[in-house]
Amino acid sequence: MPDTFQEYITRVIEYWPALFESLWETGIMMGFAMVAAIALGLPLGTLLFLTARGQPMQNVFIYQLSNAFVNIVRSFPFLLLVVAMQPFIRAVYGRATGDPVAASFPMMLIAIALYARFVQQSLLDVPKGVTETAQSMGASIPQLVWKFLFVESRSSLIIGFTTAFVSFISYSTIMGVVGGGGIGDFAIRYGYQRYETDIMYTAIIVIIIIVQLIQWWGLRLAKKLDKR
Amino acid sequence: MITMTNVTKTYEGQEGAFNAVDDVSLEIGENEIFGLIGESGAGKSTILRFINALETPTEGTVEVDGTDVFSLPKKRLRQHQKSIGMIFQQFNLLNNKTVRENVRLPLELHKYNDPLSVGEVLDFVGLGGKSDRYPGQLSGGEKQRVGIARALITRPKILLCDEPTSALDESTTEEIVGVLKRAHETFGMTVLVVTHELDVVKSMCERCAVLENGHLVDIIDIARGEERRSYDSYHQRVLEVLKDA
Repeated sequence: MPDTFQEYITRVIEYWPALFESLWETGIMMGFAMVAAIALGLPLGTLLFLTARGQPMQNVFIYQLSNAFVNIVRSFPFLLLVVAMQPFIRAVYGRATGDPVAASFPMMLIAIALYARFVQQSLLDVPKGVTETAQSMGASIPQLVWKFLFVESRSSLIIGFTTAFVSFISYSTIMGVVGGGGIGDFAIRYGYQRYETDIMYTAIIVIIIIVQLIQWWGLRLAKKLDKR
Repeated sequence: MITMTNVTKTYEGQEGAFNAVDDVSLEIGENEIFGLIGESGAGKSTILRFINALETPTEGTVEVDGTDVFSLPKKRLRQHQKSIGMIFQQFNLLNNKTVRENVRLPLELHKYNDPLSVGEVLDFVGLGGKSDRYPGQLSGGEKQRVGIARALITRPKILLCDEPTSALDESTTEEIVGVLKRAHETFGMTVLVVTHELDVVKSMCERCAVLENGHLVDIIDIARGEERRSYDSYHQRVLEVLKDA
């Protein structure tokens, strides 16, 4: 046993640089996905909420359009989305395979659609009286969003973001298919293709630890901000 | 002065259209405390919401100080809304903001010429020591005081009260009615109170409109009888009501 354990440790140390590089690649993909979720997913989800029937910016056309976008992206099997986006990524970025930035494009798309839906649901949970109060004070739409809706939904927005983040990690493991690298790709390369099961499990455990940490931290932050 | 002329609100229901408010005309004077009473579904809250344009009538006009509310362009309409305070049955406070932040909120949305200070207005409603609490830490009556403070801080020329005491118990109702009466005396605005509680109308209002199924049935001048006795405790009131009835 001590022998095998020592052997395992040696192997982990040997593979550590490769594991670390994979984590870095995953980090790049996650970074792009998170920025896209906040910069575009949050406004899109807010737009979905505001343009729905009976809401202050009611607009059937915009609502249906953004709703269709979210539904289409989310119903796309992710692997096919990755493949289907190849020509687009090549046109925009120059290359579609072999690096984590190219692999971030489909990640960003799914991040926007997924988080937009979470945001819409969070805003629907804000009591209707909040919107009415803002209107009774003569609040503009930006004031309604920033000073009322986001204030009351902030912990729910954070929990949604945490949940989305965990899904992004899962999505990122597919990117090895187009040479995007990442921790999932690492696990497949060593565990599946080279039968180095111990290294694969190590990678999986690293993923699980990251997810646990994020989940724990997200819930803690949400709880701290929730005064309701 | 508020003038409503032949206002009607029609909803398309599943069994065809029906009128939530049906051809109502009303005049409410400057500085008056006016009640709108009726059973639930009578249309009283809808009428109240015409005044600050939270609801739009299908037909008819609403004029406040001579301007037709529903002819105003968006920006002017917000200016109109900013001069009207409103309090709600469910208080509608932001639960993630402190009492102080809630009360300050209207001042963050618009510039006001001569607003009250948070301290003044909280002292006025009797919540001086609780400015750093969150609404979740307050009782129902205290929450409504915060709602009133938030409405008063801008010195509104009209105060709309939508079932202000319906979520409160009896003694708290009396306290809140007291605060509202005091606000009217001190700051002198037009006050509209929607309620189904006759006691509240009786102790607050000078006139009230009675609504049934969207129709205006009557406008009553309220007799100023001798003030109802105030009881020292809930127990005494129970004895009074249950034993003498």
